[in-house]
Amino acid sequence: MSVTAIRMEGVLRLGFEGVDAIDAVNAEVLKDEALSRVGEAAEFVVDLSGVEFVDSAGVGVLVALFKTARRNGGRARFCRISAGVRAVLEIIRLDQIFEIYEDWEDAVRA
Amino acid sequence: MAAEGGKAALWRGGQEMVPDLAELCRIHEVGLDLIERSHDVDELLNRVLEEYERRLRELPGDALDGRAGKPGPESVRKLRALVMFATQAAALKEKAVAASELKRRAAEAESHRARLEGVLGALGSGVMILGAGGETLMANAAARALLGGEDEAVLARLIADGVPPRGEAEIDLPSKEGSRRTLVVSRRPLGSGEGAEVALVTDVTQRARDLEERVRLEKLAEVLRTLSVLSHKINNPLTALLGRAQILQAHRGTDPGVAKAAAVIEESSLRIAELIRELARVVKEGRHEALDDLLDMDQTVGGGRAS
Repeated sequence: MSVTAIRMEGVLRLGFEGVDAIDAVNAEVLKDEALSRVGEAAEFVVDLSGVEFVDSAGVGVLVALFKTARRNGGRARFCRISAGVRAVLEIIRLDQIFEIYEDWEDAVRA
Repeated sequence: MAAEGGKAALWRGGQEMVPDLAELCRIHEVGLDLIERSHDVDELLNRVLEEYERRLRELPGDALDGRAGKPGPESVRKLRALVMFATQAAALKEKAVAASELKRRAAEAESHRARLEGVLGALGSGVMILGAGGETLMANAAARALLGGEDEAVLARLIADGVPPRGEAEIDLPSKEGSRRTLVVSRRPLGSGEGAEVALVTDVTQRARDLEERVRLEKLAEVLRTLSVLSHKINNPLTALLGRAQILQAHRGTDPGVAKAAAVIEESSLRIAELIRELARVVKEGRHEALDDLLDMDQTVGGGRAS
C-alpha cells in the first residue's frame, strides 16, 4: 500500500497503489504520504483507480488534497473514480466541489 | 427552537434548502463574525472547507458506510449538516473561480495598460485619450510636457471646440510666460465604439517661428533688391548733377550767390553719393542690421541738413 507520484506533461499524477479502500484504518497514513508527495505542487491529478470505497476519513484525505492545491495556488483534479467512491462523493455533495474527470488525459487537458 | 425551525425548513420534502451563510453559521455555531468580516471569497471558501473537514471527522462511521447498515438518526443529522456545508462550499467555489478569473483578467488588463502607457510614454509626440464627452482620460508624458503645467482640461476643451472630428487643426496655446505655442492636433476615433478618441498633439511653435522668419527674410531680400535698383538709377542723374555743379563753380564769376548755390549743390550731391555707396554696401552684405544703421545715418544726415 503506497501513494505513487509521477510527473507527466508537467502535471503531478498521484495514485494509490494497492489500496482498495481509504477509510479510518489507513486514511491517516495515506494522507501524510500523499501530502508529502504533493509538497509545493499546485497542479496535480489524483487518480483513484482501484479505490472502491471511501468513508468519512477517506473523504478527509481527498478534501485535504483539494485544500492543499488551493493553498499552493493551483487546483487538484480527480479522475478514474469508481462507482462506490462517486456515490459517497455525491451523497456529501463533494462532486459539486471537486473537479472530476473520467480519465487522466481529460484531467490533464482541463 | 429557532434552530429546530431552521432545520425543518432545510429539509422540506426531502430536498435540502440552502440557507444563507449567516443562517447556516447560526444553526451550526460557526464563527460567523469571522466569516462575515471576510470579503475574500477564496478565504471564505477555505474557512468553509475547514469547517467541512472538522464535521467530516466528527461523522459517525456508519454515516457513509452502506455496509454497516442503515445509519442512525445522529449520523443522518450530521450527514445532512455536512451536505449543507458542501452545498455552500460549492456555491462559494463557483464564486471563487469567477473572482479568480476576474482577477486574472484585471491583471491582464492592467498589464496591457502598463504596456500601452510605456509605449505612449516613449513617444515624442503628445498623445491624449479623450472620452466621449471630450474629457481627458489619459495623456502621455509628451502631451503633459506640451501643456507645460496647464490643466489638461484646457487643451481637451480647445480640441473639442477647435478641431473637427477625424480632422486636424492648429491651436494657439498661451503659455504662463506670456509667449504663445502653436500645436497641431489631429483627432481620430479609437474604434472601441464608445465614442472615445485619440488626439495626436505636435508642437509646431518652432516650425511656425521658422516660417515667420522665412517670410520676413524674403521681404527683406525684396527690399534690398529694390534698393539696389534705386541706387543704380539715382547714381546716374547724381553724377550728372555733380558734374554740372563743378562746372558752375568754375564759371561762377563774381556773383557770390551763384558760388554759394553751386557749393550747396555739390555738397548735397556728395552726401547723396555717400548714401548711395552705403546703400550699395548694405545690399551687397544683405544684412538688415546694416539697413538699420543706414536709416540711423540717414536721420543723422537729415538732422545735419536741418541744422
